[in-house]
Amino acid sequence: MSGVMQLEPGTAAVAPAKFSVRDLVKTRVRGAGSGDGESFVAVDHVTFDVRRGEFLCVLGPSGCGKTSILHILAGLDEPTSGEALLDGRPITGPGPDRAVLFQEPALFPWLSVAGNVELALRLIGVPEAERRDRAMHWLENVHLGKFADAQPHELSAGMRQRAALARALAAEPDVLLGDEPFGALDAQARELLQDEVQRVWAEREGHATFVFVTHNVREAALLADRVLVMSAAPGRLLEEVRISSPRPRALDDVLVARVVSEIHEQLMREVDKGVAHEMDL
Amino acid sequence: MADRPAPTPGGQTPSEVDAHLAGLTDDEREVLAKVADIVRKIQFGTVVLVIQDGKVVQIEMAEKFRLR
Repeated sequence: MSGVMQLEPGTAAVAPAKFSVRDLVKTRVRGAGSGDGESFVAVDHVTFDVRRGEFLCVLGPSGCGKTSILHILAGLDEPTSGEALLDGRPITGPGPDRAVLFQEPALFPWLSVAGNVELALRLIGVPEAERRDRAMHWLENVHLGKFADAQPHELSAGMRQRAALARALAAEPDVLLGDEPFGALDAQARELLQDEVQRVWAEREGHATFVFVTHNVREAALLADRVLVMSAAPGRLLEEVRISSPRPRALDDVLVARVVSEIHEQLMREVDKGVAHEMDL
Repeated sequence: MADRPAPTPGGQTPSEVDAHLAGLTDDEREVLAKVADIVRKIQFGTVVLVIQDGKVVQIEMAEKFRLR
């Protein structure tokens, strides 16, 4: 055999399901809080699996219910009907096995950067003597070693999100859930974070399952083994794209660029439909 | 003209294709066999061959499934 590397859909393709989402429906109330809001379907009969070790991106226009799905996987919200299983058991709440990265890095402002990471380690029972070393290891991993003693407000938005990433990963969770984690960052900071995430996911070699929701097509094609494309509200699954291409990937890789343009086209048709639907109302 | 076999998608006759295949190196055959495997498995998608120094070093692919 010559040295041609054929990239089969990774080992994750045959690994057991980490998450199983079956016929999931989530209804929400418009203007919740005012008491007289009308209910609407945010997620409409969605079924998919996430395999152990897989990097999945759920992609869709604003309001397609992708954040609702992520919150249900995180245990922060419950399905209206249908089920969401983690390792075959219903998800009943959040847990230390699932770290969540939000759009705004929720760092405690009164703790140093290292202090934030150490707190996460304390909460999972890491002995005090080990916490500093482990925190420093992960801060160095995201190139923040020199800022360990800084306060969060002294960092740029990109650096704060890197600190949040270090905090999420320091606990070595089985699962990292990302809710538009790089959405609020400028292009350069986002690119750096995307590189970091690709690297740390690859380093865990099939042991870490990452699920990110995003409306950024390029981000999804760059990061994911599999992209689930959702329709505008009510959110349904439209198509699945499996990408077998080595990491680290770059946006100008031929395959990535091609996948981006195909998904983009599909999504634009959905956005048009969404606008048309709103104008009908 | 009427007896001439229908051309293949590449515009060659089957016998021209056979002659072409017979002249391929083992490495070239391996690449083609892998590409053929992928084509058989995929209904909609893209295959990219990465070439370095005149050799295919990597085959990447993306496969698309409609879910509704």
